[in-house]
Amino acid sequence: MSEPTKAPEAAQLAEEAKLSPAELKKRAKAEKQARRAAQKGEPGATGVPVPATNGTHEAPKPPKQSGPQEQKAQGSQQKGPPQQKQKQGVQEGKHERTGSIQQPLPTRGMPALAGPVKEVQRKDKKQVELFSHLYTQSRRQDIAGASKNVHPSVVALGFQMSSYEICGSSARCVAMLVAFKEVVQTYVTPSEVSLARDLTSRHLSPQIDFLRSCRPISESMGNAIRWLKKTIVEIDPRTPEQEAKDYLCDEIDRFVRERITVTDQAIAASASALIKDGSVVLTYAKSSIVEKTILQAHANGTRFRVMAVDSRPLFEGKSLATSLMHAGLQVEYLPFSGIAYAVKEATLVLLGAHSMLSNGRLQSRVGTAALAMQAHKADIPVIVCCESVKFSGKVALDSIVLNEVAPSEELLLPKATVSHAPALDRKDDDDEDRQVRSLHDWRDIPGLQILNLMYDVTPAEYIRMVICEYGNVPPSSVPVVHRLANEGIM
Amino acid sequence: MPSATVGQTPSLSTYLKSLKHNDIETSIELFISLLKRRQIKNSRPCAIATISLLLRVVGEARTRDAQQLIERIRAVGRRLVAAQPREMAVGNIVRRVLENVREVAERDQDAADGGSEGSTSIPSTPIRGETMRRPAFPTKFSEFSPLHGAATIPQDMHARAPLATSGDSSPAFGGTMEAALQRPPLVSSNTSYAGQGPAASSLFSILQHPQGRSPYATPPTGTQSPALKASPFKGDEGQTSASEKLDIKAEVITSIQDLQKELEEVDDEISEFAQDHIHNNEVILTHTSSQTVQRFLMKAASKKRKFTVFHAEAYPNDHLETHATIVNGGGATAEDADERWKPLTSMGITVILIPDSAVFALMSRINKVILAPHTVLANGSLIAAAGASTIAQAAKTHRVPVVVLSGVFKLSPVYPFDTDELIEYGDPGKVVPFQDGEFMDKVDVVNPVYDFVDAELIDLYITNLGGHAPSYLYRIVADHYRVEDIDLSGKAEGGAVKAG
Repeated sequence: MSEPTKAPEAAQLAEEAKLSPAELKKRAKAEKQARRAAQKGEPGATGVPVPATNGTHEAPKPPKQSGPQEQKAQGSQQKGPPQQKQKQGVQEGKHERTGSIQQPLPTRGMPALAGPVKEVQRKDKKQVELFSHLYTQSRRQDIAGASKNVHPSVVALGFQMSSYEICGSSARCVAMLVAFKEVVQTYVTPSEVSLARDLTSRHLSPQIDFLRSCRPISESMGNAIRWLKKTIVEIDPRTPEQEAKDYLCDEIDRFVRERITVTDQAIAASASALIKDGSVVLTYAKSSIVEKTILQAHANGTRFRVMAVDSRPLFEGKSLATSLMHAGLQVEYLPFSGIAYAVKEATLVLLGAHSMLSNGRLQSRVGTAALAMQAHKADIPVIVCCESVKFSGKVALDSIVLNEVAPSEELLLPKATVSHAPALDRKDDDDEDRQVRSLHDWRDIPGLQILNLMYDVTPAEYIRMVICEYGNVPPSSVPVVHRLANEGIM
Repeated sequence: MPSATVGQTPSLSTYLKSLKHNDIETSIELFISLLKRRQIKNSRPCAIATISLLLRVVGEARTRDAQQLIERIRAVGRRLVAAQPREMAVGNIVRRVLENVREVAERDQDAADGGSEGSTSIPSTPIRGETMRRPAFPTKFSEFSPLHGAATIPQDMHARAPLATSGDSSPAFGGTMEAALQRPPLVSSNTSYAGQGPAASSLFSILQHPQGRSPYATPPTGTQSPALKASPFKGDEGQTSASEKLDIKAEVITSIQDLQKELEEVDDEISEFAQDHIHNNEVILTHTSSQTVQRFLMKAASKKRKFTVFHAEAYPNDHLETHATIVNGGGATAEDADERWKPLTSMGITVILIPDSAVFALMSRINKVILAPHTVLANGSLIAAAGASTIAQAAKTHRVPVVVLSGVFKLSPVYPFDTDELIEYGDPGKVVPFQDGEFMDKVDVVNPVYDFVDAELIDLYITNLGGHAPSYLYRIVADHYRVEDIDLSGKAEGGAVKAG
């Protein structure tokens, strides 16, 4: 009796596979209960009984059905059974054909069962629901589980990136390509395959996966990888291996030189012309290209001063301020809350980019959008310096779609040795144990989450101009430049 | 004497304790030094300390005269405000107390005058031109001009001569007063307008009323008018019985205690409105560790509303308190267990802590922004913790409503002529530790503590009186403060009265 029912059951499972996981969970729980009841009840019965009585069923079925229904009586609503009756109607044909009870579609009568399970889950959830699409891979903490093919220099690079030692889109791109040169050199072509086909899939992919597990790869890294894969595929299979490898290394060098190093110099020269005597340049976090621009302007002899705005938790602005200070510039350093003060005096805003999106928006360190908005309201020109390797074909309407969520622990302040709240003598430790907790216990506090975003998207109307190696363009020209520069790679 | 406070950091609680056994001058000096050293910060502690101090000042005042009481309070208030001009709550409380005193004195004068037909007594605020008689007609003619006095001046105005204010509140009246000094007094019965029913019959008088007091309050005949040219008020008060004088002080003390109670209940009254504004599935953004906002949200949570709160941490000035408030709830340092309250998370609300930089990024998903100010200014704009301006601007960009919760004690009658002066700059050591010697030496580190938020960015104010649009706040200012108290400097009243 069980076999014929299993087949339609399987078919039903297939069509119900597209139901939500919550409903599947409900069904699983119901199945378990039914199995328990089935063991107590008729031995010939199959998996899941109908949770509600159905008048058309044979007589022996109702007692079994009412059993589990009583179990669920505590929570199920009155409308459950009638609804299930309706749903049963759909299955009517199958029922009569096989003469057995089919699994019903999950209906509203079921939620009471799944209730407690869901409650517990929600309490333990420390991920912000708004960004659930970004929590797919937690950051790697150690080397355990890495593929054996991962090159040691890539391992080192991965940890340098996840600890923010190498931070910043261009820096990561260059460091990755340099590491890949070593990877290419250590590659040995197996006998029956050609380098062009095999290098990418067998040797390069594990490296990229490892890097991705340390920290989500940036747009510049993505463009560079696409270019590299294209270059590898275009290698003539007849080239001897060492020559091919040397060719690849040379090409990587050329890429870095042309698209990053020389480009940076060109952008710095162009942007530094915008800084005039008496300018007050406002900048945010640390962008290597903005730093180069400012140093170039300073080397040109322009007299100006810089306001560096900074934010938690990375404090990149402080390292920018330090390096500019060492170069002899007059620097003012402000926390993020000082933006309203900063825009009163600034005459020019220079920003770096993580990537430029095809709808003209700027994706950059979180906080850039707020600064650009304040500057726009104060009629200060906002200029973005961005190499074309960072231009992207993606579009985003807000900062939620494309982003990176960093581990929340990075937002916690270093543990204070002295507790923040003074200890009072608690003779009456009545009601809920009111021990003074710190933010470090955030995981134990239900309902408390900490969100550490890395990027935000600045609307195009706040950006006056984008400076890239192809010239000074408005933000609306980003897709054109992207096609031009990254063409053939996409 | 203050032995109990030795060894403890001076703060509001130690000050309140010391108030009980210090003499008045010491207490005033202590408060001034606390203000100057920023050991008492933020509006509510300053307001509580000010009102306790003023209670003692009034309690110990030897005078029975309302006018002298006002002078005493003004003198004390002047010193307190000068100690820390940016703590506007101090000045607000002083002005509220002054308003109470004036109101009590006026009420008592009313009672003293007995049944004059609808007359209000001469108040102890001699500057209020419109009370007894028809209000002054402002004339701009100089005293030396032959045209001076040619404009229609009610004949009984000169009796109020010596009470000219200088400059600030009623410049127009001042001119008239001095002019009137030179004219011979006329018998009141000869006065043309006064006497034929309420002076409001003339549209003129409506235009003259500075405080919006009903012109029906002016008496038809100037009962006390011409005879009392020199110092009508002093004389008047001399006529009232001693028992009514006693009442003034007692009533002032009662009204100050009412004000104290209002300060304590501010949060509860504001939270009463929480249900109207926070509903299920809302996403709310807030900022800093404000007790008012937390209580407001808790009240909504206690009504079984489930919502989400994004809490910006206000680094570097308030982030530690914000973390503590989110994790532990409030009043952790309060000795009284009743004053402690649970954190929002314990009521089933999801609270998400974010750094200030993420405000714009998340604003597209926020439904409401709730802010708590440091001070609210008379035109509806406010001074709030640094970062509030960015939040309010971002909210405006995304069309998110901004709600500001503030008690009336934070509402200041000052108009923000120079917004830069109202911003206080704090300790740069909080941004970069002073151990970074070279950095601190060569780089200018700025740490603004407050932000100015313009009235256009605010959608709603919720005070303990209810919800209002920013454009309505001037009315509340007018209800709670007197024009002559806006400037606490001494030259206004004291000289004129004593001259008489």
